[in-house]
Order: sequence, then C-alpha cells, then structure tokens
Amino acid sequence: MSDPAAADVTAELRDILVRATGRAELRGVADEQPLFGSGVGLDSLTGTLLLREVHRRFGVDVAGEDLNLDALATLGTLAAFIAERAA
Amino acid sequence: MIVKCVIWDLDNTLLSGVFLESPDRPPAADPAMLAAAATLRDRGVIHAIASRNPPEAAAHATRVTGLDFAAAECGWGPKSDAVRRIVAGLDIGADAVAFVDDDLYERAEVSLAVPEALVLSPEDMAEAVGWPEFSPGLVTAEARRRGQMYAQRRLRLQEARSFAGSRDEFLRYCATEVVIGPATDADVPRLHELSVRTHQFNTAGEAMSETALRELVASPAHQVTTVRLRDRFGDDGLVGGSVVERGAGRDWRVTLLMMSCRAMGRGVIEALLAWLARSAGRGGAATLAVPCLVSPRNTPLRLALSGSGFRAAESGRPGQPAAVFRRPVSGPPPELPDWVSASEAG
Repeated sequence: MSDPAAADVTAELRDILVRATGRAELRGVADEQPLFGSGVGLDSLTGTLLLREVHRRFGVDVAGEDLNLDALATLGTLAAFIAERAA
Repeated sequence: MIVKCVIWDLDNTLLSGVFLESPDRPPAADPAMLAAAATLRDRGVIHAIASRNPPEAAAHATRVTGLDFAAAECGWGPKSDAVRRIVAGLDIGADAVAFVDDDLYERAEVSLAVPEALVLSPEDMAEAVGWPEFSPGLVTAEARRRGQMYAQRRLRLQEARSFAGSRDEFLRYCATEVVIGPATDADVPRLHELSVRTHQFNTAGEAMSETALRELVASPAHQVTTVRLRDRFGDDGLVGGSVVERGAGRDWRVTLLMMSCRAMGRGVIEALLAWLARSAGRGGAATLAVPCLVSPRNTPLRLALSGSGFRAAESGRPGQPAAVFRRPVSGPPPELPDWVSASEAG
C-alpha cells in the first residue's frame, strides 16, 4: 500500500481490529492476510464490532455499500475501500 | 413489540426504600414489583438494573429479589446512557426494552432520549404484566431460563476479556459443544419462537408458524435441522435452526436460517453453515443457495455467510431487499471444528 492516506487508515484499522477482537497479537497482522478463516478468525461478532467502529471513525458504512463484504477480505482491501470513500 | 428486557430503577422501585439512606438495614424488595418481575421471568423476559447507586446496590438487589440480572448499570450519569449501554451489551433492540422508574424526571429523560423504549412507572408496571407487550404467545423451556443464561453469558464474557488466545482456543477452553441434528415435532415450538424473535441472524423477514414448521418436519423433500449449544458456563439449549429444500436439480436452497443472538461469537452459525454445505454435498447438490433478506439488522448474518464462502451473484451496494448467497458444495467438504457433533439422519 504506497498511498499514504491508505497507509494511515491501515494503521488505525489495526488498532480497531485489536480492540474488536481483544487480541493484542493481531497488531502484527499483515495488510494482505485474510481476515476470515483461521489466523485472524474474524467472525460475525468481531466483524460486527469492527464494522461499527469503522462506521463511527471513518463515516463509511461498509455493510450498506458492499453486499458481499468483499472489502473485509484483508486490512489492505478495507483500507482502500475506506480511503476511496472518505477522500 | 414484545419486551425482552425490563430495566429497573432500584430506589423506591424494585426496592421498597432508598439503598444509601439505610446502610445498616438496606431495603427489602418491593413485593408488587418483585411479583411482576418473577412473573415476567417465567415468561422468558430478562431483567437489568439502571440505578443511581454504587455497584453494591446491584449485589444487594440480586440478594433480596433472587432474580438473575443480565446487566447492571450503577452510577451517576443519565439513565438514558445506562439504558443504551444495556441495550448494546445485550445486543437487543431499544424497542425491546421497558424502563421502570418511580421518578417522573428520570422517566421523561429516558422517554426523550430513547423514544423506542417503553417507559413505565411502578404503578404502570404492576398492570403491564397483562399487556400484550409482556405476553409472548408461548413459553418454551429456553425462554423461562433466559435470565439465567444471560447471567452465564456475563461470566463467559468476563473470562473472554482476560483470555489470551484465539477465539477457537477460547471456545475449546470453555468446553463448547455444538450439537446439530434433525428436528422433531418436539422442537417445533422453540423453532417457531426463534423465527419470531431472531433478527440479527435470520434470513427471512417473517415468522414461520408452528403448523408450517410441523409440515416441513414431516416433508420428505425438506430437511429441518436444529442446533444446540452448551459449555461449562451453562446449557443454552436449542439456539438455531434451518429449513432446506432438497431441490430435484443440483441446487439445495436454505429457505430459513436462524440463530439466537445469544449464540453469537461462539462458532455456532459458522458450524451450521459448514454442516449444511457438507450435507448438501453428500446429498448430491452442486451448490447450496441461501436466499436472504438484506437489512442493516442482519449484517452479522451476512458476515457469517461471507466468512463461510457464500457470495451473491450481484456485487456492490445492496440493491433489492433480497439477495441469494451461494457456495459450491461439490468439492471437498468444509472442515467442522472438533467441538461440533452432528447426527446425520433427517
């Protein structure tokens, strides 16, 4: 992610992810690591908390704009989705 | 709207006096309010506390009423904030709570700030037990034990907060057991209740009658499935279910998928989706289709679908109110976590 705005967003998303999951070790999650599935293991509860916080912080309603929630694939895709809309 | 939770003021409402005024002999429970609260508990309504008192007041109220409180907010901030925190913590709608307070000012403040809530004086409350808002049509074993289960949930959440490890490790530590199996006639009342009460995890926009469910249980073209959940904190009973239409073609359709929000974050909906995909694959289907009404309320369900490999053909902004999410099931079946057990009949 070379875009500086997106890089700032990614750093903040990492904080949000740590708070939503309560797992400090997720601060080390790579931009391109899948959020669903084993590893990060985002589920319907932590995903809902993450989306709520993203909406509050960036004013972007991901669930309202992305039917398949593809934006949640990785922190990188989520940051790009937010940067595009918040710009 | 059916009230799922009553939020009680303590001083001169649920207690027959003021907690801080009599430190040596703190007040007993108010008999009329306690009777109303116990009746509602037996109907499956849960209870919570919003009080301008130190936290000891909640512990005292628990002792003198014998009630299980799913949440307790003690402090000096506005009561409407306490109500909002309780609603958020329990994951219920603000339109599913009643707030009872003897103080006219507090009632006005909550009415203005949380207009969806039903705001009552203690006198109203004594009578309201007979109102339709407090009278769900039927009471299942799960409903009667709801308050107790929310109290267990509080303990589980406390431990989860201090647990270092992944969600799966926590579920294993809790000795989580998810049991998936075919529905029988005896499950029909609870499945009907879930179809009425679930919103965050429900693919349909409307309830399914007991008659309709009974016909589906008996129908050879349909598979009606139940999911039960327990762990070392307690037994949540039947928390979810699904109805699948076994298509003559290569597409099996999940015409109803629902789960209690109490089971959220405990691997249940993911287990059910994985099991349904395995079952459809074994039955010769090529894809499993989940038609789903898309609303802001059931975003958690969409998260589970997305995380379990389901996709809608259209993408971008949700357009029509309903979308069909699909996943192929002819390949290798998805893994079931080791805490899930399934009986394959039905």
